[in-house]
Amino acid sequence: MANARILAQSEGRARPRLSDFWFKHRSWIGFVFIAPWFLSFLLFDLMPFTANLYLSFTDYSIGPVQPNWIGLDNYIEIFTEDEIFSKSVGNTLYYMVFSVPLGLAVAFAVALLLNTRVRGMPLFRTIYYLPAIVPVVAAAIIFSGLLNTRYGVINQLLMAFGLDPVRWLSRPEWIKPSLIIMSLWGFGAQMVIFLAGLQSIPQELYEAVAIDGGNGWHRLRNITIPLMTPTIFFNLIIGIIGSFQVFTQVFVLIDSDGGPLQAGLVFMMNIYNNAFRYFRKGYAAALSVILFLIIMVFTLIMLRTSNRWVFYAGDEE
Amino acid sequence: MKKSFSLLLLLVVVLALSLVPAAAQDDVIEIHFMNWWDASREPLMLDLIARFEAENPGIKVINEIQPWDNRNELVSTAISSSTPPSIIMTNRLETFQFAGLGLLTPIDDFIAQSGLDLSVFYEGEIGNQYFQGQLYALPMPTAGGLTGMYFYNKQMLAEAGFENPPQTWQELRAVAEAITIGDAAGVETLGVNVGTSGEEFVSWLYTNGGKFVSDDGRTLEFNSPHGIETLEWMLSFTNDVNGGVENMTDFFQGSDFTAGDHPFYTNELAIMGINTSNFGHLNANDPEMYADTDRWGVMLRPYNGDNPDAKHAGVVGYSPVGGWGYTIPTANSPEVIEAAYKFAEFLGSSPEGGCVFLFAQSRPSPVKSCNEDPAYYEANPYWDTVLEGLSIDVAVPITPVQGQIADILNAKIEEAFFGVLTAEDALNEAAAEGQAILDTYWSSVDG
Repeated sequence: MANARILAQSEGRARPRLSDFWFKHRSWIGFVFIAPWFLSFLLFDLMPFTANLYLSFTDYSIGPVQPNWIGLDNYIEIFTEDEIFSKSVGNTLYYMVFSVPLGLAVAFAVALLLNTRVRGMPLFRTIYYLPAIVPVVAAAIIFSGLLNTRYGVINQLLMAFGLDPVRWLSRPEWIKPSLIIMSLWGFGAQMVIFLAGLQSIPQELYEAVAIDGGNGWHRLRNITIPLMTPTIFFNLIIGIIGSFQVFTQVFVLIDSDGGPLQAGLVFMMNIYNNAFRYFRKGYAAALSVILFLIIMVFTLIMLRTSNRWVFYAGDEE
Repeated sequence: MKKSFSLLLLLVVVLALSLVPAAAQDDVIEIHFMNWWDASREPLMLDLIARFEAENPGIKVINEIQPWDNRNELVSTAISSSTPPSIIMTNRLETFQFAGLGLLTPIDDFIAQSGLDLSVFYEGEIGNQYFQGQLYALPMPTAGGLTGMYFYNKQMLAEAGFENPPQTWQELRAVAEAITIGDAAGVETLGVNVGTSGEEFVSWLYTNGGKFVSDDGRTLEFNSPHGIETLEWMLSFTNDVNGGVENMTDFFQGSDFTAGDHPFYTNELAIMGINTSNFGHLNANDPEMYADTDRWGVMLRPYNGDNPDAKHAGVVGYSPVGGWGYTIPTANSPEVIEAAYKFAEFLGSSPEGGCVFLFAQSRPSPVKSCNEDPAYYEANPYWDTVLEGLSIDVAVPITPVQGQIADILNAKIEEAFFGVLTAEDALNEAAAEGQAILDTYWSSVDG
């Protein structure tokens, strides 16, 4: 309607030729603005993805060698012969099931604390966010020290309370919990998103609860959590995707063999070993496609079920 | 106008002069040398390069030291790219993998041209660099001396009542039982770790008269009765003397001999397996200890005293990280390949090259004559034992699929250490899975 009015006005008066040109081709301006993203998507996402998909049907190894088309052989081997595949899927799912909810809970709880009005809050926020910008490799080295059986701080604390030290990195049953504990280190990124979400909740809603005689728990349960569900949902999706792609911290903390009894051999490690240690890049490409499908299925499930628990302000429900 | 012309003339003269050195530089072939001789060895390597460039004024070597992190990705992408390094340091497994894909230049023709006599090398060392009948690299440093020797702490052994280092498995266990002290957090003082990996198993296997694979590289043989006996001995040693595999992981967690942070330096470990680079690291990190031969000694890997056929042995070529050589990617221009070969020959065989480089680190050379230098006895107090250690090495024939087979063996042996499988089942399962991979490889080679 507004555009039509502008058009009618513009038709009624003489306009410079250049602006007429821009006006007629105004949609191109939009294309110019999205071009960088689109080119990046084309070059760094779509083309590699397509190449990877093609390679997954070949026996490609390495170098400028024409790979042989082997059809579904890689996929058949993955599902029928590769014991490491099922082990790595199991390890990754275990990691995801515990690390994602724990990470969300910790990030949300700290964000709630950092959303209060206390003196020096910017400093606290900075301190809690700092670990998120520490490189993963550095963090993994710190954790290998913290989790050291004899000298690690965690075991020193346990022993101070008369408890037996835990073999964090040398017993198979403790490898995944160690990785999960380490995953909490980077909660700062999620925390900042939660903090932004918390600050967008209108104060009037809290005032309404107070007028109705509600306490802190009521505010949290009836206002904060429902209004934060879109943010929780976003962090959940990102967390699930990230947990399926966990690699660097595992690689640094327990090496590419996955630690005792391969208890920490996650999916990405399996891809890495096939691609860069065995030079079976076609096979690794097939594993990558499967990882993509797993992540896509999880994301779709989350999206489909989100309308049951995610509340968007302005929704009629 | 006159002024403008003068300025123009001046500009032309300056440009012409500036082009003279550029034209001269065009005659110099630049080669990029990708290697992992870390910062501590960089001055030595730069010195070597300077010597080479003095002998070959037409070649300039760019020394490109790389970090060990992400090495696998770096090597594979560098070699397979259209602009690979001119010459690259690869281990034996990588050499075989890349040569099998046609990414490396065989150097037989260059050797024939230069007239280099390959008998200057130890037979096993040069033999390690052949793949399917063609030579791809000259060795440097030695592939040998990686598994056959141990450092021992003379004071700790003496305090435990042992005057001489152990020669057999049985003596080794007696020493370990006398020295190892455990507590709630694992092991406080350790006699020796006999290892829990596939690589250690293979090393012990050869001191029990066994073999990893047949001489033609086609049949895995590590699940022989000798193999089972070896793994059972390792299991018993680790579980009964050292308190289990997790104690060993915990004991060495975070320690680094090359950085001086290791229980051997602090009298918490009596006997440790070494490779020949450890002499240089000991000297660099604790020169007082290195100089005091009353504190430490060198012994050969013990053998099974109950097996009359068993003897001291080391293993050459099994380890995926051993058998270093300098390979030349095929994607380089012929001039660069020729220059790179000259540098490889200098590094590998010249008395002014690899000999000097390795001598400075008190470690042996794959070139026999280098090791006959009497100055070695001054630099390394146990030089006789080092040479003996090299002489007991046994070469293991491997294939490009060695990495996968080694990983399978590692995983199964680990299952044995955690009580999931018996020694016999672990080796049989590893042999069956590994043999299937080996058969697939050989069928692709045989066509």
